[in-house]
Amino acid sequence: MEVVRVEGLGKTYPGGTKALEDVSFSINKGEVFCLLGRNGAGKTTLLRILATQLRPTLGRAFVLGHDVLADPKSIRPHIAVVPQEARPQMLLSPYDHILYMCLIRGRTRADARERTRKVMEELDLWEHRDKLAADLSGGLRQRLIIAMAMVADPEVLFLDEPTIGLDPLGRRSVWSMLRALTKKGVTILLTTHYLDEAEILADHLLIVDKGRTAFLGTVDEAKGDTGVGMRVIMEPAAGNGSAAPEVLEPKSSEEILAIVERGLREKRKVTFKPASLEDAFIKIVGGSIEVENT
Amino acid sequence: MYIGLFDALPLLRDPMLLVVISLFSFLPVIFIFVFADQASAVQSLIGAIVLTFSFTGLFASQSVYFNKQWFRFQDMFVASRVSPASYALGLSLSGLVVALPGVVVAMVLLLLSKSATAAGVLLLLGTSVLLWIGLVFVGFAIGATTKNARRANSIPQVLSIALGFLPPVYYPLERLHDIPIAQAVAMLIPTTHAAQLAKYYFGLISIPAWQVWVGWIYLLSFAALMGFLASRRAHWVDP
Repeated sequence: MEVVRVEGLGKTYPGGTKALEDVSFSINKGEVFCLLGRNGAGKTTLLRILATQLRPTLGRAFVLGHDVLADPKSIRPHIAVVPQEARPQMLLSPYDHILYMCLIRGRTRADARERTRKVMEELDLWEHRDKLAADLSGGLRQRLIIAMAMVADPEVLFLDEPTIGLDPLGRRSVWSMLRALTKKGVTILLTTHYLDEAEILADHLLIVDKGRTAFLGTVDEAKGDTGVGMRVIMEPAAGNGSAAPEVLEPKSSEEILAIVERGLREKRKVTFKPASLEDAFIKIVGGSIEVENT
Repeated sequence: MYIGLFDALPLLRDPMLLVVISLFSFLPVIFIFVFADQASAVQSLIGAIVLTFSFTGLFASQSVYFNKQWFRFQDMFVASRVSPASYALGLSLSGLVVALPGVVVAMVLLLLSKSATAAGVLLLLGTSVLLWIGLVFVGFAIGATTKNARRANSIPQVLSIALGFLPPVYYPLERLHDIPIAQAVAMLIPTTHAAQLAKYYFGLISIPAWQVWVGWIYLLSFAALMGFLASRRAHWVDP
């Protein structure tokens, strides 16, 4: 079942900045759909249009069958948003945040208390319920913001870089939470700069570059379409530490063998890296592959 | 209402902050009480009540800014059943809730120092509320267009000096009698009109009937104009 449909969407801001141009895609129920792109590529613009926070200037977009421009009121009760860089009120507790979000969203006090407890328990926040947000770690604060969105029991959840600033464990806990939600049928649209995150989570992904669709498909298709293969990083020889490592992209087993022989001969450390979404992303958006420390 | 409570909760939970904020406008009254006569102190008390309302209106800009740009709760509210009207009303009232204890204390002091009719009290509150509405709109216009936290804090503070402490709100308009240009400038400031009306209805000054009308028309026009400005600047769904 199609939950989100976008047809030729475009957005030009009042100042004349063109943020989106002719973007089309659809998202099915229970999917995690990742939006990738460089800073300023148009990801947040797209997410905000679908979350009925920003008006498009071209094309149409439908969420749960309703037009975001013509009928946002029918969409809003069924969605929730985790905005980019949202922060809790430092002088309030997690319980206050979630309880008030329930009340603001129209629940009765008794219902709000019950829902607050349920959401906090689900997100492992209950033991922190009476602390001030100022005393929570970055990961817990982010989880709190996600919990505020979750009180709505949304059918579609929009998350704008939800794991930014989280440590690896915090990120994993958010990932498992998102996966649990999709099992319940929640559809998730997520923007991220972390390509490993997209690789793990995304059922489909859209790469936007300068406001236009640069790629639309699955992670495997991204890797396959771009012809990204294995990368081999050959460290500089001992005593030549200032030289940059060589990055090679062998196309055949003979080439791989030749690289190994060369590494042995020149006594250089050779690291093989399987194709990653990051490689595909860099190829798609037209950047150059940076040499990493391996 | 819950939006207003949520916004005001950090202040309501901290009695020290509550005292400071709710009594902020009343600090000059203490000096006037010490250094001037009782009549001046009573006038300044009325000025303080008028200004408490105007400051809470003006400082709605901070709530608007922080909810939109800092906490980003506005985006969360947009993507929910919350209507823009209830959001605006909630944020506007949050400041008032915090300032209310100070207003109540001042009203009690005022009534102890000078007897007044119920109509006088109601009209004093009426002018203050009308001014508050106009300045809430100013607050929304400022908060919605401010892009950084420093400005969100400094602009209402500067405006509160220009609207509250400089014009004849705490002190009588007659003090500017010898400086006609200052008096003329003062009459362009909405807080002057609100304070004049409030003092008049409390029987502290007498002004001709046409000035009373001018005062009300000015405050109504100011509120309408600022409402228009706020509707152009503050957006629920961004353009």
